Amino acid sequence: MEMKTRITGDVNILEIAGRFDTNTVPPVSAWLEQVTATPGPRVLVNLADTTFVDSTALATLVQALKRCHQMQGDLCVCSLRRPVYMIFELTRLDKAFNIFVDEEHAIQSFNN
Amino acid sequence: MLVTLLSSQYARFTALADAWLAQGASAFGVFQDSRPLIYWPAGHRLARPSITAPITHNDEEIADLRVAGVSGMAAEMRLKADATLISYVLQLENELQCMTADLATSQDQQLALYRLTQSMRDHVTIIETLQALVIEAVRMTKSHAGFAAFVSSDGQEPLLVQSPDGFMPDDVAWHIYWHTHTAEREVILPDPASDLLYPENVENMLAVPIWVRGSIMAMMGVTNRPGGFGTPNIKLVRAISDQASAQIERMLLYQEMFDQARLKTEMDLARRVQLDLMPHQLPTVPGLDLYASSRPALQVGGDFFDFIVGDDRPFLFSLGDVTGKGLSAALLMTMTRSAIHSKAQFMPYPTPEAVMRQSNEDLYHDFTRVGVFATVFVGQYEPGSQKLIYANAGHSPVIYRPFDGEPELLRADSTAIGILPVSSCRNQTLNMRPGDLLVVATDGFSDTRNSRDETFDIERLIVLVDQLASQTACEIANAMLETVSRFGGGRNQDDDQTLVVIKGAAS
Repeated sequence: MEMKTRITGDVNILEIAGRFDTNTVPPVSAWLEQVTATPGPRVLVNLADTTFVDSTALATLVQALKRCHQMQGDLCVCSLRRPVYMIFELTRLDKAFNIFVDEEHAIQSFNN
Repeated sequence: MLVTLLSSQYARFTALADAWLAQGASAFGVFQDSRPLIYWPAGHRLARPSITAPITHNDEEIADLRVAGVSGMAAEMRLKADATLISYVLQLENELQCMTADLATSQDQQLALYRLTQSMRDHVTIIETLQALVIEAVRMTKSHAGFAAFVSSDGQEPLLVQSPDGFMPDDVAWHIYWHTHTAEREVILPDPASDLLYPENVENMLAVPIWVRGSIMAMMGVTNRPGGFGTPNIKLVRAISDQASAQIERMLLYQEMFDQARLKTEMDLARRVQLDLMPHQLPTVPGLDLYASSRPALQVGGDFFDFIVGDDRPFLFSLGDVTGKGLSAALLMTMTRSAIHSKAQFMPYPTPEAVMRQSNEDLYHDFTRVGVFATVFVGQYEPGSQKLIYANAGHSPVIYRPFDGEPELLRADSTAIGILPVSSCRNQTLNMRPGDLLVVATDGFSDTRNSRDETFDIERLIVLVDQLASQTACEIANAMLETVSRFGGGRNQDDDQTLVVIKGAAS
């Protein structure tokens, strides 16, 4: 797993490449905790190059989503590959997360 | 510089002067800014030189040679040649001094690196190592402040140290860490091309990533060095970060050995909790052929299954998976299983929907506090009804295969317990006629990996259930466990594998 972070405007963007699972969660979790510590965090997780997510990875995203809401912010995910989208759909996480086709649409949603 | 050369080479300059005086010159001297530095014979001030020739350094005139009492082309050429030679010697002298200074600095740095290695050996924790690292780096680079950060790959608290303490806000330091992590190379400020936000108090900065076991796990930064950071500083800080990398690797190894022993005890305990709490006997339910099994992974997860049977009450069963590993997952699993069990056992009219909604309400706040969730499937069967009612909170894979039809993957009807404050679970109904088959498994099956890093996947699981459909519940469960085990090719299981197989039977 490789992670890359950047900031566009006031949106903290995280890109995760490869397997996102129990073994690779800690640095992602640390980053998410830090960016959701300030009021009104806007976080976008780009999963375009994520090939696999397990339940621990999903729990990390859910935890960050809850923290964002507590801090009056939001967390979106975008660019899910088919197998990863299927996991979100099967477990109904699509009800909890705002999922966008690409970064552009996700960032637009933050601005609306 | 010229004055130094004049004093160190006084005898040679005297020889030059003597040669000029012997050739008929009345005086010879070296002048700087029209003031004499040295001259022969004593007492002659060389106020009116007959010839002068410039002494240069880096193409700039810095002084001149003067003679009085001789003239002509030959004398001019000779004086010019003397001045050129002195200029060249001056340049060599200068280069020698620079090299000596570099050598001294390099020796200092080597000594400092040696001291750094020695001092790091005394530290037994990573935070102590980072503290020593920052203090030494600030001292060696002659900077005003420094900081270092470490993000472990095993979920321990990220570490940040600064010297002096609180030089910059923690979030700014972390921002620099993630920027360096993404850039995968040193970050230097000022840099007009960098998109790194300029921290307050910082005039200049050098931050280098520290590679540990092939990936960036730490970073070290030094700030506010008078004169900024040039190539020698970058080289030095890289050398320090290499030392730090080796030391952190040693420390991780030590910690891992220690943790492994602790983990083994914890996992043994978690495995006992998990296995002891699973039902040891299968209930007999008229109209159903059922079987359940759970195989914990080495790093125990939070899988569970449960049966709730009571006189004059419908038969209920549950299967779930709490996120996380080890003892914490085992404890949360116990909590979830008990919440569901007590509701199914004591509610006046328990339905899967009611059990799930109530359990979500009970567990939501605790789960939010600890950052976990549980996917749960609850099913209910009234003997003789040939119908199975179920509710599914985010659980997958669940495969239903009617005796006369194609297998289908059942999608959850709400998110897992602990994600949203109110569950949107609804009762769903499935036929459970003789031969109809329902397999509720945990992701330990679909996520099983082989040596080529391929996952077993849900598609293979559906095909497998279809192939096994004619067998008994027990045979189906055992064949599924064996098939994924074979697929894994002897690798350690990543996650628990738990399943409940329910098949309609003649009552």
